[in-house]
Amino acid sequence: MAVHVKLLAADLLSLAVHHASCPPSFTRKGKPVSRAEAVGVVVSRERKDKYLSFLVDDGSGCIPCILWLNHRSDRERDLGVAAEMAREEAATVQLGKLVRVRGTITAYRGVVQITVGDVVVERDPNAEVLHWLDCVRLAKCCYDPPP
Amino acid sequence: MAACSIKPAIPVILKELEQGSQFFHQGASLRVTGKLQEYSVDTAIAVITEADVSFKIDTQHLRDLTFRIGSYYQFIGELLVFPEDSAILQARVGRNVDGLDINLYHRSLQLRRQFEVELMNSRVT
Repeated sequence: MAVHVKLLAADLLSLAVHHASCPPSFTRKGKPVSRAEAVGVVVSRERKDKYLSFLVDDGSGCIPCILWLNHRSDRERDLGVAAEMAREEAATVQLGKLVRVRGTITAYRGVVQITVGDVVVERDPNAEVLHWLDCVRLAKCCYDPPP
Repeated sequence: MAACSIKPAIPVILKELEQGSQFFHQGASLRVTGKLQEYSVDTAIAVITEADVSFKIDTQHLRDLTFRIGSYYQFIGELLVFPEDSAILQARVGRNVDGLDINLYHRSLQLRRQFEVELMNSRVT
């Protein structure tokens, strides 16, 4: 799936990892997934020169996220602007904030993570609840294979 | 990432935090939500309430959080159970959640738990 698949952390972190391809690919109940969207509270952050790594806790799991500060995806040709945007986003990611993270699913040392494409702080606390309901509905209606 | 050792905080309703509950054990990582009833600047102890149940939160590790009596807050932390069966949550993260639809939150939490059980069962089978 090329769309950002809305997943709870427990669902995301249990994706099957296929190391035969390089980079590794991921499947959920047999269906390939490459991008994910998650919503949760930032419970850890570590800022380095080249990246910000942080953990998003949605109550079902803690999703490791990495936001590269020195480059972005191919859609951004101007690396200077892209890096500046990434630094601005990184500044908003603070402990205790409710964030919505979208990005590519990758694996680091065998653990599934999100390589962040964009991250926004959610001001409405109901956004998380609506995300839960989206995750449940989409899993049952779209993502799960038909019975 | 060393931080991966952090356990997810299970969202619970205050009335579920009683002796004998599956969530009520030493060191449990929990997420609790309620209206701020009391806050002591001296001890950094906050008391939140929800549906006539109150619960103590130790907020000494929190920074950049303003406490307003009557506002809703959500805390993530670990449960510290005392011998006399009272307990306090040692918060490591907290945020203001004014505007949260509590009824929707509770109902969605039940749906979510049901989904998580189904998810777990589908992995086993």
